[in-house]
Amino acid sequence: MMVEKKKTTTKKTETKKQEAKKVAPVKQEVKKQAAAPAPAAQNAVAAPGATTQKDARIGVFICHCGTNIAGSMDIQAVQDYAKTIPHVAYVDNYKYMCSMPGQTLIQKAVKENNLTGVVVAACTPRLHEPTFRTATKDAGLNPFRFEMANIRDQNSWVHMHDREGSTEKAKDAVRIAVAKAALLQDLFPKSVPVEPAAMVVGAGVAGMQASLDLAAAGIKTYLIESDMSIGGRMSQLDKTFPTLDCSQCILTPKMVDVGRSEKIELMTWSEVENVEGYIGNFEVTIKKKARGVMTPKEAAAKGIVGGGCNGCGDCDAVCPVIKPNVFEVGMKPRKAIYINHPQVVPLIYTIDFNACVKCGLCVTACGPEKRAIDLNMQDEFIKVKVGTVILATGYDIFPIENKQEWGYKRYENVITSLEFERLICASGPTGGHLVRPSDGQTPMRVAFVLCAGSRDNTGIGKPYCSRFCCMYSLKHAHQIVEKIPGCVPYIFYMDIRSFGKMYEEFYYRIQNEGAKFIRGRVANILEDPKTKNLHVYADDTLLDRPVDMEVDLVVLAAAIEPKADTNRTRKLFGVSCSQDGWLLEAHPKLNPCGTTTAGVFLAGVCQGPKDIPDTVAQAEGAASAASIPIHMGEVELEPYFAQCIEEKCAGCGMCVNLCPYSALSLVEKNGRTVMQVTEAKCKGCGTCGGFCPGGAIWMQHFATPQIVAQIDAFLLGGEE
Amino acid sequence: MARTKGYPEALEKKLKDQRFYREDSTPDFVNRIEKISRTMAHMCFQCGTCTGSCPSAPRSSYRIRKFMRRAVLGLENEALTDPDLWLCTTCYSCTDRCPRDIAPTDVIMAMRNIAFTHDIVPVNFLKTVQAIYKTGHGVPNNDVNRAAREKLGLTRDPPTTHMYPEYMPGIRKILDHYHMKENADRIVKEREG
Ligand SMILES: Cc1cc2nc3c(=O)[nH]c(=O)nc-3n(C[C@H](O)[C@H](O)[C@H](O)COP(=O)(O)OP(=O)(O)OC[C@H]3O[C@@H](n4cnc5c(N)ncnc54)[C@H](O)[C@@H]3O)c2cc1C
Ligand code: SF4
Ligand code: SF4
Ligand code: SF4
Ligand code: SF4
Repeated sequence: MMVEKKKTTTKKTETKKQEAKKVAPVKQEVKKQAAAPAPAAQNAVAAPGATTQKDARIGVFICHCGTNIAGSMDIQAVQDYAKTIPHVAYVDNYKYMCSMPGQTLIQKAVKENNLTGVVVAACTPRLHEPTFRTATKDAGLNPFRFEMANIRDQNSWVHMHDREGSTEKAKDAVRIAVAKAALLQDLFPKSVPVEPAAMVVGAGVAGMQASLDLAAAGIKTYLIESDMSIGGRMSQLDKTFPTLDCSQCILTPKMVDVGRSEKIELMTWSEVENVEGYIGNFEVTIKKKARGVMTPKEAAAKGIVGGGCNGCGDCDAVCPVIKPNVFEVGMKPRKAIYINHPQVVPLIYTIDFNACVKCGLCVTACGPEKRAIDLNMQDEFIKVKVGTVILATGYDIFPIENKQEWGYKRYENVITSLEFERLICASGPTGGHLVRPSDGQTPMRVAFVLCAGSRDNTGIGKPYCSRFCCMYSLKHAHQIVEKIPGCVPYIFYMDIRSFGKMYEEFYYRIQNEGAKFIRGRVANILEDPKTKNLHVYADDTLLDRPVDMEVDLVVLAAAIEPKADTNRTRKLFGVSCSQDGWLLEAHPKLNPCGTTTAGVFLAGVCQGPKDIPDTVAQAEGAASAASIPIHMGEVELEPYFAQCIEEKCAGCGMCVNLCPYSALSLVEKNGRTVMQVTEAKCKGCGTCGGFCPGGAIWMQHFATPQIVAQIDAFLLGGEE
Repeated sequence: MARTKGYPEALEKKLKDQRFYREDSTPDFVNRIEKISRTMAHMCFQCGTCTGSCPSAPRSSYRIRKFMRRAVLGLENEALTDPDLWLCTTCYSCTDRCPRDIAPTDVIMAMRNIAFTHDIVPVNFLKTVQAIYKTGHGVPNNDVNRAAREKLGLTRDPPTTHMYPEYMPGIRKILDHYHMKENADRIVKEREG
């Protein structure tokens, strides 16, 4: 309890100091802590550099994890062995150590036996390290006096059928953990203030929702979008399953809200260029790409009163350069100066400088009042400071032409589902009339190829299920039945995955409307060169007969993949990806919005395929998670940072260049040059500690003597 | 009135118990197949891409997907005694396209290997063995071919064992090593007397 009090007071002074001075004087803080250690650990506190611990008293607690551990090893044997390990003062076992009674057991044992450290032999630190640290703290010890021996994930689960072997391995693990526990020191997490602002990268429906929520919580939010407008993929859709509401109708109001919100600073046609710092204090450099057109605000800043783009489109009318409109999947032309579609937010034209011939016609058309166009505009770099970040970078369509058997890009009448969305949409290139690209005729037989490139282990496609193609293909079937009387949709499927709320009911409805379902993955497609009709070959697996179906149009429900730029962006923020390329959440079940980088959260499809309802739900979760540190005002950093043992430091400065986080510098102290750690920047990676030729760097909680003790414990079997 | 020929027999066949019982399967059948074929037959998820790709399927009762299913379930007897087993042309179209990256062609080959150990082989396949033993070719050259080749400005015989008969002993040695010829001769004799 005393430790706890001590800690809080220090935290407060520390925070005050931080406010007064920018450079955190953590060095002093640690010294102060060391000067006033907790009574239980009085003699246990070793200064940086200490290598022995004579009177450590360690308690070992072995968990059964039900039968997860106990089923594969002899717990009693491990317990008997643990009693013989040096420094072990108490041993016990329990069915579930993480349960309330289990934790109480630890607390009681610590108090009754005057323990200085706790070893729990159990599952894995991943989930329960915090649990047992809290238990250790509640027992009156410093929470960092806890060490876990992993005897489940790395033992009983792997050696399920080798009882003897796993028992022996558990003994080793316990011995090693005790060796470290005997040398553990009191550590005190450092608190840093949190910048009261957030950043959201990507303004699809996920990024927009997250920004709106953050703004509603009163947080200043920078919303960064690489395209010229916000909205993402959802703004390309016609209707949305299963309720069939018009996508634009439900999205546009949100887009307008984002554009209007005073708390949201929207930056379209922008990208993240560089990121420095850590949770609470990210310094992000944003590249505002030269757009060639000024907003009214930008014009005003340049002294052009009442100027700037008002979206009139006069420039569009005169521009002589014609390019395919990417928003319309290339099915409609646009000019070099363009907007994606009439509802864009912000309504500011953008020049595609790769296409622009700088003829200046648009400048003239724009006129002397607005003077919105600046053909010599340069990229601009802006630095902002934020406390937390949400990545919402979304997805791209997998290049389905790579699966050659379906003939995309070879046969005109084979299209993707995204092209279908634009063709069936009233604001699309054909005004909502679904036509065959080859001759503009209305198709009467349409084949839908599901799992096109998804659930594919050949190395060409994607092994995962893209998760919304079943549902949107049902929607597409409905749309053609509704719009083209007599037109028959044939859906070639392996499984119809209609798992969401009201989704199975939607499947029922579409079948009732006349869609024909053929259970078989499409083997290949051939074109009749004369009619440009397509022959779809498959196996009707339920009829057990091969199918050759002649249709007018084929729609490929193409797989999706992470947005092209995702890898670069995620690396800037230190976020990992899973093996399928989607951004990696901190825990697939218990922390789906977090990442392993503190302060960085995920929303939407960038974390894995999901439809709009799931995307919005995750975005709201991420916004809530990202607002917590901001509302708390400060965050605790794990105290795993490097410390300089100044007496040993030769001031060579070689570590300074090695540190990947620029956390080290050289300073003058008492007439000597020594290294100094900016602790808030240090991630505890250990690069410097492993390198220093003089052994002058002390990695807290992973100090050389602690690790050497572990190695000795393993190799020497407990002997000195 | 109009009684279809063989109607009672056909009906009887249709009405017989068609269920699949656990005892029908030989659990290690798929393991033996995988050992020979080196492909993950047990991972088939019955999408039908193989049958959809198969040039044999629309022209026969042969269904490669059904053989994959029998492999998964271990229906050894049913697979090996189905004469369709011998209708694969080994074109490898299915192998090209299987989304689970399985080689159904090689599964068929493995099943044929196992079938051969039970003397289950159509006579025409055995005659092929005999032809190879004799000439080095499953389909030896003939006069029609020779004339066509001449017309095209080619040698009358191709540069194979036809042109280099000195390689025949090597080929025979391989076939003898596996007792192919010996077994082919024996089975053909048993069947044709
Ligand atoms: C054909 C089709 C039909 C669909 N129909 C439906 C439906 O009916 N109902 C339904 O629920 N779902 C449907 N979906 C799924 C739906 O599109 C997604 O669930 C939703 O769009 C995901 O939103 P998001 O914000 O996560 O990603 P996105 O919409 O992809 O948005 C990501 C945004 O981030 C931006 N961005 C990316 N990288 C960066 C970067 N590095 N820097 C800055 N900005 C960046 C992108 O430009 C984009 O604006 C359909 C999908 C398809 C393909
Ligand atoms: S200057 Fe460029 S954008 Fe303007 S009209 Fe000419 S080509 Fe188009
Ligand atoms: S959602 Fe349906 S069509 Fe899409 S990959 Fe999954 S199973 Fe296939
Ligand atoms: S293509 Fe492959 S996975 Fe599909 S049914 Fe055939 S063998 Fe099975
Ligand atoms: S290899 Fe055999 S089973 Fe496969 S497609 Fe060709 S003929 Fe059919």
